[in-house]
Order: sequence, then C-alpha cells, then structure tokens
Amino acid sequence: MRTKLTVLLAGLGIVIAAVPVWAHHAFAAEFDAKRPIKLKGTITKMEWINPHTWIHIDVKRPNGKVERWMIEGGPPNALYRRGFTKDSLPLGIEIVVEGFQAKDGSMRGNGRDLTFPDGRKLFLGSSGTGAPLDAKNGKDR
Amino acid sequence: MRYGSVAVVLTLAAASGVMAFALAARNSAATPASEAKSWTPPRTAWGDPDFQGVWRYEAAIALERPGRFAGRELLTDEEVARSEQLEKEQEAKRLAGEEGESVGRRSVAESPIRGNEYNSFWQDHGRPRKVYKQTSLITDPRDGRIPYTPDAQKADARAAARYGVGPYESYLDPDTGERCLTDGVTGMMWQGPNGGHNRIVQSPGYVTILHEEYRDRRIIPVDGRPHSGIRQWFGDAVGHWDGDTLVVDTTNFLDRTNYEWASIWTRTSETLHLVERFRRADADTLEYRITIEDPQTFVKPWTAVIPISRLPDGTEIYEYACHEGNYAMPNLLSGARAEAGKKAASR
Repeated sequence: MRTKLTVLLAGLGIVIAAVPVWAHHAFAAEFDAKRPIKLKGTITKMEWINPHTWIHIDVKRPNGKVERWMIEGGPPNALYRRGFTKDSLPLGIEIVVEGFQAKDGSMRGNGRDLTFPDGRKLFLGSSGTGAPLDAKNGKDR
Repeated sequence: MRYGSVAVVLTLAAASGVMAFALAARNSAATPASEAKSWTPPRTAWGDPDFQGVWRYEAAIALERPGRFAGRELLTDEEVARSEQLEKEQEAKRLAGEEGESVGRRSVAESPIRGNEYNSFWQDHGRPRKVYKQTSLITDPRDGRIPYTPDAQKADARAAARYGVGPYESYLDPDTGERCLTDGVTGMMWQGPNGGHNRIVQSPGYVTILHEEYRDRRIIPVDGRPHSGIRQWFGDAVGHWDGDTLVVDTTNFLDRTNYEWASIWTRTSETLHLVERFRRADADTLEYRITIEDPQTFVKPWTAVIPISRLPDGTEIYEYACHEGNYAMPNLLSGARAEAGKKAASR
C-alpha cells in the first residue's frame, strides 16, 4: 500500500517533504561521519542539561576492559515534550547506541539510534504537541 | 545556524498546474487550508488585541519559492489535500519509528549528517505539519525569492560552504547560536532548534515575547514612544496598534551576529529596518508578516507571511540554560585541532 501510494504521489509530481531539522550545532565539526560507532553499554549517568542531554554508558570490551562513553541525545525540552523523563532511561539498564564518534577520537559520540538489547527502539511517540497536558486536554494537533 | 537554507529546502508538495493570484494569497495566507472560518479576535481587559499564549510555527513552507513552483503563489485544493494526506501518513510512520524516505528523510546511508544525525526520536516531529496554500513564505517580491545584492549572494554562498566545516580557530568562529548566544531576532518567532516556542505576554503599554531558545526575550513598548536610539543585538523595537494588528518597528541593530555563519538573510546589520505585523487570522493562527529592508544586503525590501500556530492552554516554555552543557564548543574546537594535527602529520 505504501509503495503504491508513493508511486501514485510521485506520478502526480508530489515530492516527499523534507522533515524540518534544525540541529543545534554543526554536527560535521564535532562528530566524524567516517567513524560510525555501535556500542552496547550500561547507563551510569544521564545528564539532563541544555542544549543537549548526554547519556554516560560503560561499555565492556571483549578483553574485559570497561570504556566510559558519553553519548549526546536530544534537547531536554524537546524530549520532555515528547513524554520522556529521567525515568525513561534509568541507571543500570543496557542500551545499544549507534551514532558517530567525536572527531578528536575521544570516547564521545552522538546517539543517532538508541535500542534496547531486545530490539525495542527507544522511541516514544506523541500525537499531540508533546506538552504533557495535551493528553488531558484531549486535543489532537 | 543556517535556518535560511534549511527553510529553503523545506517543501510541501510539487505539481504542475494552475496560476494563482496574489490577492487570493493575501487573503488565505495565514489560514490553514482546511479550516477557514469567521472569527472575532479577542481583546485584553484593557482593550488591546490579545496575542497571549504559546505559539509555534508548525508548517513547512519554503522561505523562498522552490523552482518547481515558479510563477505560482498558491497550491491548488487538490495539492493541498494530497499534502495533508502525506503529512498524516508520515506522522504515523514517525511515531512507529520508521526512518528514511517513508518519513520524508534521507536515509543515513545517503547522508549521515545534515539532518540525519539523530533519529526521529530525538526530535519533535511527531505531529503532522499544517498545510497552507502558500508555495513560499516570501510573498513580496512576487517571485518569492530573497532580493540579495550581488555581494550578499556571495556572502551567502560563502557562509553555506563554511557552515559545519570550519575553519574553527577560535570560539568566535562558530555562529552565535552554536556559541549559545542567540540565533537573532529576524527568525525568532518561527525558528529554533527546539521548535521555536514563544510565549507572548501583554501588560498595558507593553508586549513581551519570551522565546525558549537561548532564553531570548523582547520587551516591546506599545505606548507611542519613539525609538530610543540605543543599538542592541535585537535592535530598538517600538510597537503600535493598527486596528487588530500589532505593528513592531525595529531599527538600531548592533551588527554582532557573526553573519559569516548565520543564515545570511538573518543578519542584523546597522542599516536593517525590520517591520513586523502580528494579526490573529483565526483562534489558532497568528499571521506574522515581516518586512525586511536593508540596503547592505538586499536590493529592495521583501516581505514574508508566516502562519504560526497557537499551542493548547497549559503548554509551557522551559528554561534553556544553553551554556550549562555546551559540550559542542570544546568538541568542535578539539575536532578541528585533531584534523589540523592529522594534516600536519601527513605532510
């Protein structure tokens, strides 16, 4: 159905709209697109700070060595509006992070995708504005 | 931030077809295509038009008219209906965690950066964007394009080439947004890394706009006073009422906005004259009309009409203590040093 619709829309000259993305900072200057990372680690700290949240994880390497990584997440205000709180990523749970490493080679990266080990994507949806009161108001925007 | 060029690539829909008329564009510009209705704008207890509440731009209309809409100021009803359907479908897919073309994004393989740094989870893209008939935010000139001077055109290209690339020799090199200062006043009502939430608060003689990002705020007198003459980053704004419309006239900008990095049209040179007109088109829509005049950057004044949505009562704006954790600054400077070191070593 989806394919059909896409074809139909393409046929009608409709171009798929680009999602507006306003990254806060110059990603390319900070992270290295040629250094993709995939890390499985345990959350040791969640920095709920502006302009971006940072998740600290301990990554156990096959040789037993533990690496302490810092992963950049979304802005706290945007996350909160989507129903995300500190409890959404409790300390001690294991996550898989895919993203890109810092250009200076340090153990910092951005978290493009966050997944729980069972494959569940860390993705909370809200059909409202994301404001916590939305659901109570029963408004759907 | 290069919001300008981002806005330029945001598009609603494309099609060939029917010519539209400017008059129609004017009448329907700020009314969502699906909900035109008559409405009496509210007044405050002391009798001024009432703009109070939290507002956010929720459409995705290109600032400049995309080439495929050349000569057309409005979408047809059919195109609007199709765009609305597409927005709803994309919303559902975003909420389901889909990535790539089905949600209107490039795949990470196509472009790991420039908008693909994070999945949809990290960004506030759940709801369908509102569809309007406008094919560009710019309504004057009629071609929907920014009337840059030749020099400004070159500066814009230069800024685009440097954005996110460097050189980053100093903390002064990133743009003012990356430095956690401000993205400036020209796009404040409708742009912002977190979506540009603005709370408007009024008291007799004043309209105050609180912008979430960077904790920017503008306190605009509407008591008939003249310009103060003091140059500031956000200029020297005075307002007055024109019927149900708030008119804000701003001059005396301070040119400290490092415009090599910011979107070039947003720069506030000392010769900028900004006129903003706020009008409630309906209960949930603010028609925000800006006219930008600056002989240093543009060959003539230009006007954009931007539909901004009212968010439900109870929507809050939050603190944005940007310096609290601006790890981006040391990261991009150390990234630049690492790159320079690599280059030196390979010589």
